Amino acid sequence: MPLLLAGLFGLAPAAAQQPAAVIAIPPLTTPDDKSTGPASPAAIAWQASQLIASDLRTTAELVPIGPDQKDYYSYPEVTAPTFSRWRAKGAKFVLTGFVRSRPDGRLTVGCYVYDADRGRELGRTGFVVSADEWRRAAHKCSGIAYTAATGAPGIFDTRIAYVAESGPPGARVKRVAVMDGDGNNQTFVTAGDTIVVTPRLSPKAENLAYVSYVGGQPNVRIVNLGSNEQRPLVAGSDMSFAPRFSPDGRRIVFSMQAGANTDIYVADSNGGPAQRLTTAPGVDTDPSFSPDGARIAFESDRSGSQQIYTMAADGSGQRRISFGGGGYAAPVWGPDGEWIAFTRRLPGAGSRIGVIRPDGTGEKLLTDGTYDEGPSWAASGQELIFQRAGPDGRPALYRITLAGGPARKVVTPQDASDPDWSGTLD
Amino acid sequence: MRRLLILLVLVGTAASAQLPGLSRRTAPPPPPLVLGIDALRADFIAQAGSDKIYFGGDSAVLTPPARATLAAQAQWLRRHPEIVVRIEGHADPSDTRDHALAVGARRAAEVRDYLVLLGVPAAQLSTVSWGKERVAVMGTAPDALALNRRAVTILVR
Repeated sequence: MPLLLAGLFGLAPAAAQQPAAVIAIPPLTTPDDKSTGPASPAAIAWQASQLIASDLRTTAELVPIGPDQKDYYSYPEVTAPTFSRWRAKGAKFVLTGFVRSRPDGRLTVGCYVYDADRGRELGRTGFVVSADEWRRAAHKCSGIAYTAATGAPGIFDTRIAYVAESGPPGARVKRVAVMDGDGNNQTFVTAGDTIVVTPRLSPKAENLAYVSYVGGQPNVRIVNLGSNEQRPLVAGSDMSFAPRFSPDGRRIVFSMQAGANTDIYVADSNGGPAQRLTTAPGVDTDPSFSPDGARIAFESDRSGSQQIYTMAADGSGQRRISFGGGGYAAPVWGPDGEWIAFTRRLPGAGSRIGVIRPDGTGEKLLTDGTYDEGPSWAASGQELIFQRAGPDGRPALYRITLAGGPARKVVTPQDASDPDWSGTLD
Repeated sequence: MRRLLILLVLVGTAASAQLPGLSRRTAPPPPPLVLGIDALRADFIAQAGSDKIYFGGDSAVLTPPARATLAAQAQWLRRHPEIVVRIEGHADPSDTRDHALAVGARRAAEVRDYLVLLGVPAAQLSTVSWGKERVAVMGTAPDALALNRRAVTILVR
């Protein structure tokens, strides 16, 4: 229970200092099935067990042990694991499960998570999937384990959009790319014949908004990732950029420029006219909805330097929440509402990733890179992905947890910038 | 205006070449005086001093040297009303992605407004921001950053 409470309150300091809990991952079992081969339930069960362990190994809160072939168990033991054995190995949690073939050729995958101390079930999940969808089922199993341990949504069955970069400086080829949360399943959304920036996924990763120079001016475009159909968000030739979906995916906030002035607008993600939300002289950009959709955080240089502001979703009640030197850019409201992540520009010292509470308190910097920018939240609200430029200026993606610790590189096939992490998929 | 006149002269020569007596000219015809866009660009840079101006950090304020360059650019552009120009605004790579786009747009707009103030017809001018997408000089040393904070006046046609 204390663990669940810590999860409910986002980042309680006590939770941040808690050591990671051990979770036992004995291999998923395959009842009444002696078939072998790469697509057999036994082969998929073994790969799924490894993927679950590898998912959980990427978290700061859990340390998986296993899977080990020695730890096979029978089907009845899926719902009655030998808790004493796992307690003896220091495990606080146990994950069991099974993969079973169905007459229609698909697979049933089931997973159960237990509190090893109390011998109590904390969660279960089950799916019927085709053989090539087993990764998603495994990510869902990882998700219930993570949620049982932390109270926060799982970050494994998610998608990450980013800009894949190649080519020499000054003539970079930039393409919108999308990958699974674990780096698998890389796909390109644009061809690389025009410059693109800032891809942003809808909460369930069905649609993607991005900025393209295809019409000569930077303009927000919406693409349906299922059908690949594309269209501009708004008509007209004014520069539009910095799009972000509302938490329900139905609206998009973005910036539009007229002359020397840039303001924030909101439009229906299916089209229609844009409504102007800010009118201050200067650059108002990088808007981001709060998780309840009622407020918007944004960046404005109306005071002379880039600072973070919040306002109601109709543009009323604009209020500055950051006051430090240098500048604060690209605020992104976290999924639990507790924190707003930002890029801090330090005068003459590059830029770092930090967080601040929506009321302006609790500001802290999380990274120590030279040029870190563009944070995006994991669905858990406990972790951020961001872009870090190396000494040669080439960008790569990194992850950092709110609790601290070193940033970890996210492997991508090419240089990568402008990451955006979706919510947990359905 | 000048190009229009040159065209008329050429048409005239072509027509007069049909006249008897003129076809037996011994000297080769003079090279056509219609300048290609590359030659025009070279002439523009030579006459105006530069096609680029530079800005301070996070600033779109035109410095005195920038104003001097733009005054020379305006003089040339007023003599070439047939030339269409695109002003490209850039930010340095230490700026954040979206703010860089807005700052590039602001720099391009400042240049356009100043050229219009100096008598260049607005219809001759368009603007675009490249943000930090087209870096001129790599690196994060102050000198390198300063060379990226620029607006470039590009003759399109």
